[in-house]
Amino acid sequence: MAVNTIDSEPPELSAYRGVRRIDHTPHIFNNQPARYYLMWLLLPAILLLAAISLYPFVWLIYMSLHEVQLAPGKSDLWAGIDNFTRLFSDKSFARGWVTLFKYSALCLSVEITLGVLVAVILNNSRLEKLFITIFLMPMMMAPVVAGFLYMFLYNGTFGWYFWLLRSLGVLDGGSILGNKTWAMAGVVATDVWQWTPLIALITLAGLKRVPQEQLEANMVDGAGPLRNFFSVALPNLYPFLLIAILLRFMDNFRFIDTILIMTGGGPANATKILPTYLFDVSFKFFELGRGAAIAFTLLLLTILLGLALTKIFEDPTRKIKTSGTE
Amino acid sequence: MASREIVRYKSPARSAFSVLVILFLIIFFVWTVLPLAIMLITSFKDLLDAFKLPQEGDWGGVGVMFDFTPTGDHYIELFTEKHFGVYMRNSLIASLGSAVVSVFLGSMAAYALSRAEFRGKRDLLFWIISTRMAPVVAVMVPLYVIFRSSGLVGTLPGLILAYTTFNLPFAIWILKGFFDNVPYAIEEAALCDGCNRWQALRMIMPLVAPGVGAFIVLCVLFGWNDFLFASIIGSGGAKTLPVATAELVQPVKIQWGSIMAAGVITTVPMMFLGLLIRRYLVTGLTMGAVRE
Repeated sequence: MAVNTIDSEPPELSAYRGVRRIDHTPHIFNNQPARYYLMWLLLPAILLLAAISLYPFVWLIYMSLHEVQLAPGKSDLWAGIDNFTRLFSDKSFARGWVTLFKYSALCLSVEITLGVLVAVILNNSRLEKLFITIFLMPMMMAPVVAGFLYMFLYNGTFGWYFWLLRSLGVLDGGSILGNKTWAMAGVVATDVWQWTPLIALITLAGLKRVPQEQLEANMVDGAGPLRNFFSVALPNLYPFLLIAILLRFMDNFRFIDTILIMTGGGPANATKILPTYLFDVSFKFFELGRGAAIAFTLLLLTILLGLALTKIFEDPTRKIKTSGTE
Repeated sequence: MASREIVRYKSPARSAFSVLVILFLIIFFVWTVLPLAIMLITSFKDLLDAFKLPQEGDWGGVGVMFDFTPTGDHYIELFTEKHFGVYMRNSLIASLGSAVVSVFLGSMAAYALSRAEFRGKRDLLFWIISTRMAPVVAVMVPLYVIFRSSGLVGTLPGLILAYTTFNLPFAIWILKGFFDNVPYAIEEAALCDGCNRWQALRMIMPLVAPGVGAFIVLCVLFGWNDFLFASIIGSGGAKTLPVATAELVQPVKIQWGSIMAAGVITTVPMMFLGLLIRRYLVTGLTMGAVRE
């Protein structure tokens, strides 16, 4: 406690003893425990986030229990759990879920297959740089614009993809977006076009982390390139692919812009995934109470997905972040 | 890669395989680039040229695509008659405003979350990430009612606030991962040398600045490309580019030339931004799970 004695002794005495005295008053922030300082940094963002997410969430619960009246002067009617019980008898609601899973399964299976294939081919090749630049372009496009672009390409009188499919003899007539099966394929193709590059980029990042020693050891043991891919590279890629799948699935029901533009859920509800149905209920028919109940079920799925994602992020054994220092 | 150093003998099977691989790459390349090319070309065609197609099965007629006299009419029309200048400004204000607010508050919170340990931190982080993951439509239902009663529908501040619902949690989450990678030892050293905590924070700023900049750009991108919030909450006074593009669809005839031109206007700036932050793009789009 030598410092303290110098601090507490009168300055004249220090001068007399020949000790040079540094007058130091700790800065106000250093004086307090670090947690207060950090708390003040954290607070503004948390308060703002609570205001724009927790508060609406409370409103959502309120709305789901009421029949919401948008006309001024009218007050909302208490509905109890009617909005929820009605969902059980709502065929469009059930079909919305089924279509959502069908749509996501189609998108994901094609995207993962194509993305991994492209990434494996491109890895360490001369074309890698060029393709990565090209990959960026569809991803940066607003989903609305992508929707319009594909609508144009599918058009039954002047669309180039329509012409291509007809010339190949695959499409029997009619239009692409007017036929139930083809409409789903068309919507999926748009998503695949936009987001396969992301899967490829994620896989490329994953391939760079595959331990070379394992590949070499495997090759010394006589494995060919195909065997090498399936028994060494692929197991190392799993965490990356898992993240890709979760994120893409999440985005499949977060963004419905393309579907809304291209088909609006039609024809005959063939592409009406649940969020599209929710959009119709809330902002076409303005049945906001029922919409809130549907939104609530969607949020439950979100929470489940969130749990899965945080599990991955926190798993200490996962190989993604290990060499992640930038 | 080790496999390159192994001598490979040419065999018919192997060369057939490499031909297949090259063919696949070419098809994938065309599949990715063709729609973009068609969009760009169509935006310079007048309506008659845009609707020209070869006969079905007439593969030689593909050249029709390039048989046109370029015209800039669609672009001129968009900016003079359709007020796209205004919408572009709206888009820019809304997305940039939200990005700056989100990244500013987000980086402060992220730093705190990265350095502090407290009870309930995991729950807080989970809340943050699930806010970001919530479906836009589901968020919009209550937000619309709240904004309606407070007069925020159809205004730019309303739109900025709406975009912040997904940009702020994104910024907090991803910047936390960023600060986690900066060793605390740097700040400790600065504190030992007599800095106060603000100055210590300033010491690590140069290390995180590129990332912070990149994530501002990414937040701008998310806001710029948004359609749902803009169409419901921004409708009327705060029309953005995607909404204005969608409004070019009229019952009588869809003005494809103008739509493609509007698409080019909306897309090209974002592509350049994407190239600019290329190093951080995958990290950003995967919520920080994958780093290159």
